[in-house]
Amino acid sequence: MSLPRPAGLPGAYFEQMGVTPEVLRRVLDAALSRGGDDADLYFQHSASNAVSLSDHKVNQVNTNVDLGMGVRVVVDDQVGYAYSEDLTPEALVAAARAAAEIASGTPGRTAANPLARAIPDLYPVAQPWDAVGMGDRVKMVRGWEQAAFAADPRVQRIEAYLADASTIIMIVRPDGRLVQDWRPMTLAMVRATAEDGGVVDSSSYNVAARAGLEYYDPERQDRMVKEAVERTLFLLKADKPPAGDMPVVLAAGPSAILLHEAIGHGMEADFNRKRTSIYADKMGKRIANDQITIVDDGTLENARGAIGIDDEANPTERTVLVENGVLKSYMYDEISARHYGVEPTGSGRRQDFRSAPIPRMRSTIMESGPHDPGEIIKSVEKGLYCVSFANGQVNIGAGDFSFYMRQGYLIEDGKLTRPVKDVNIIGNGPEALSRIDMVGNDLLIDEGGWTCGKDGQGVPVSQGMPTVRVSKLTVGGVG
Amino acid sequence: MKGLTLDAAARRIVEIASGLGADETTARVSKGSWTELQRRDGKVEKAQESRSLSAGVSLLVDGRYSSHSTSDLRPDALQGFLERAVAATRFLEPDENRHLPELSRMGAADVDLDPIDPGQETRSPDDRRAAVEALEARAQAHTSDLKTRSITSFGWDGASESALVTSHGFDAHWASTSFGLGASVSLEDAGGKLPEAWTSYQARHNDDIPAPDTIAADLAERGRGRLGSGPMESGRYPLLLDRRVVSGLLRALMGPLSGTAIFEGRSCLKDKLGERIGSEAFTLLDDPLIPRALGSHPHDGDGLPARRRVIVDEGVLQMFFLSVYNSRRLKVPGTTGGASNLVIPPGDRSPTALAADRGRVIRVDGFLGGNSNASTGDFSFGIQGALLEDGKPVRALSEMNISGDLFSLLERYRAAADDTWTHGSWRTPSLLFDDIQFSGA
Repeated sequence: MSLPRPAGLPGAYFEQMGVTPEVLRRVLDAALSRGGDDADLYFQHSASNAVSLSDHKVNQVNTNVDLGMGVRVVVDDQVGYAYSEDLTPEALVAAARAAAEIASGTPGRTAANPLARAIPDLYPVAQPWDAVGMGDRVKMVRGWEQAAFAADPRVQRIEAYLADASTIIMIVRPDGRLVQDWRPMTLAMVRATAEDGGVVDSSSYNVAARAGLEYYDPERQDRMVKEAVERTLFLLKADKPPAGDMPVVLAAGPSAILLHEAIGHGMEADFNRKRTSIYADKMGKRIANDQITIVDDGTLENARGAIGIDDEANPTERTVLVENGVLKSYMYDEISARHYGVEPTGSGRRQDFRSAPIPRMRSTIMESGPHDPGEIIKSVEKGLYCVSFANGQVNIGAGDFSFYMRQGYLIEDGKLTRPVKDVNIIGNGPEALSRIDMVGNDLLIDEGGWTCGKDGQGVPVSQGMPTVRVSKLTVGGVG
Repeated sequence: MKGLTLDAAARRIVEIASGLGADETTARVSKGSWTELQRRDGKVEKAQESRSLSAGVSLLVDGRYSSHSTSDLRPDALQGFLERAVAATRFLEPDENRHLPELSRMGAADVDLDPIDPGQETRSPDDRRAAVEALEARAQAHTSDLKTRSITSFGWDGASESALVTSHGFDAHWASTSFGLGASVSLEDAGGKLPEAWTSYQARHNDDIPAPDTIAADLAERGRGRLGSGPMESGRYPLLLDRRVVSGLLRALMGPLSGTAIFEGRSCLKDKLGERIGSEAFTLLDDPLIPRALGSHPHDGDGLPARRRVIVDEGVLQMFFLSVYNSRRLKVPGTTGGASNLVIPPGDRSPTALAADRGRVIRVDGFLGGNSNASTGDFSFGIQGALLEDGKPVRALSEMNISGDLFSLLERYRAAADDTWTHGSWRTPSLLFDDIQFSGA
């Protein structure tokens, strides 16, 4: 099942399920019944479908439906949270009373009548998934498999899937704000396993966006297949690079995983409010070369990391985190914005109604700089050029971060030489940021389906970066 | 579905799906409730109550397979959900290997796994508050000599229950409780760094959780171990892998053991069954029948009775994780589809004594990112830990990587210590390896 964009005014969708304005006020009043400062109700209905191919057969479909409401009660910076998968008024009120336990006073306010507000539509969709038949999806996935096998005789196996998900959320606040967002998503993956002369390896390529079927234009479908096959064949002839410290050039696009891990997480305001981030005392200070401007942008149309409204009902925006090397802003949710006396940046996000919102990234991007990418590679005598990545992680306070390179090349005398694969690269975030000494003019927003994990909550994000040179990072190679 | 028992709800789903034309149906209905409490620097930071109820359904319709899940159990919604599920399945290509196992093979192990602490049900908000407050107080006391930025203490407990019903007459029921208590500390260190340390203990029974003072002492020791950390020179060193993070490295072994990786030909172990893949000292078991253990269960994901299995016996590979489906696809006898408790038998010496034999040793007690390649066995992970000399930590390490390949790693395995960790589904002691590649400064 794919949930279509709901018709009618914001609020009408859940009202059909019995969640009337009267019910909303009752639940909010229950949430505030012990004197909480503020509260929010987060209603969610989502549905997803995935069609999968393995062993030459499109032989599996998985669907998931999720429905529920989470209620948060806030007292200063303390949070009480509860949720219910049952949307009857009694169950919603019971959840609100459980969340209200965080407070221990008498009610100071009652909820205003909810009034719907419009939000921007950041996800125009030409061919919605609810109008795409299961048979058409099966055919598409089958087509990718056939194209991949046709691409190279060394390809032994293909796995692939096509998924779509749609989520309708409604957030209601005691001040009367009611917003609703319809959030589509699609994700597709092709994985190839290839063999040559006894060497076997496997790699995949995936794409994701908040879009409909139109996203899969012929060019994108060709690229998915081609990348999956070429990345796999690349690995067959690649070795491990040498171990140790060296200059690292990061190719434009997915290399933004460095940005996300080394820099992004440390700029989420909760860690700074608690003074556990290495950036806690750096506001307004120079933290990077003046070529470097970093933004976290919730407004990129159809991006996987786009949100029409954040999960606390605050407007989304393009937040400049670092401007010409100077730290300008953290990413603020409401609690941390209040702590700092600033407006929230629309960065409060949550995985689903089972989790309270916290500051999160959306689409994290380093803007283009002055250098030609070729010139950046040429500048390195001996180093590593990283092309694609699997995953990364960071320790916020200590600042050490790592990211795992799937494929790259050695740079020798300014030229790309030996193909290399499968190494972890590690460094210290602020140090790595200060060591980015050349920024390319070729910003590329990666089309991959990245998911960011924090406190056990996964949220979809995007990232983008131009080619950059980091003068030194630790490469986990051999010898 | 409200008011029905889980078993009755699962049976109802099977009936509806059968009525809609499904030839075979497996329904699993699960519910759970959890309470979490977190305190930071002297006050409650977060309190959460969770109650969930959801259903999972697998269908075989005209030889075609699908699986579905939903938390929307309103009767009309469920009917529509199953109608769409059955209809979607008909568009697929048939899969001859998906049918249910014969009923005679299914069942539960006849072992008392003791998964329920009866005290969970009567635990009061005061009990929960007392546990987390006690831990916070002890954590403050044990870290009083350190420059702390922030101390967070947390505890949780909960109960979960599930019922599994198949259309060919199998049913099973499983319930368990769980408890956890832990803390983290953020410390001020040289160079403006704010290293963090954490510790967490989980168990099926509350009396298996250590006393708050023990947890707090552990936190403080781990915190001290993070101060002044940095990389040391790249090279090959003996490795002492701390008991709590064994899975962090041996996940490089678990990927290639998976039935799907074997079937898709992307496992470096696919031709190694019955062969030596590591040192004779290395033995690894999967044991779902350990009372109170977190990974224990009476039957596996296919509904087959759980039993103890040897994965690697003195260096020789004995099995892959093969579900009924993957075993049919591969046309070989099945085992079980996934791991339960992974066990490495303990040795009789302490980790300190093992390390002391080797002179300079890198102890790894945390991982930071990294990954492994199931097709080739290559791995590369970020690590943190300490340099040990004669068994004693002399330098805190971070910003380093450990790299190699699975076969060399297992070949260089030497010994298990005597300190088996029981608060996770990896129940292993600390492990000693020789001659492992580290990269650092």
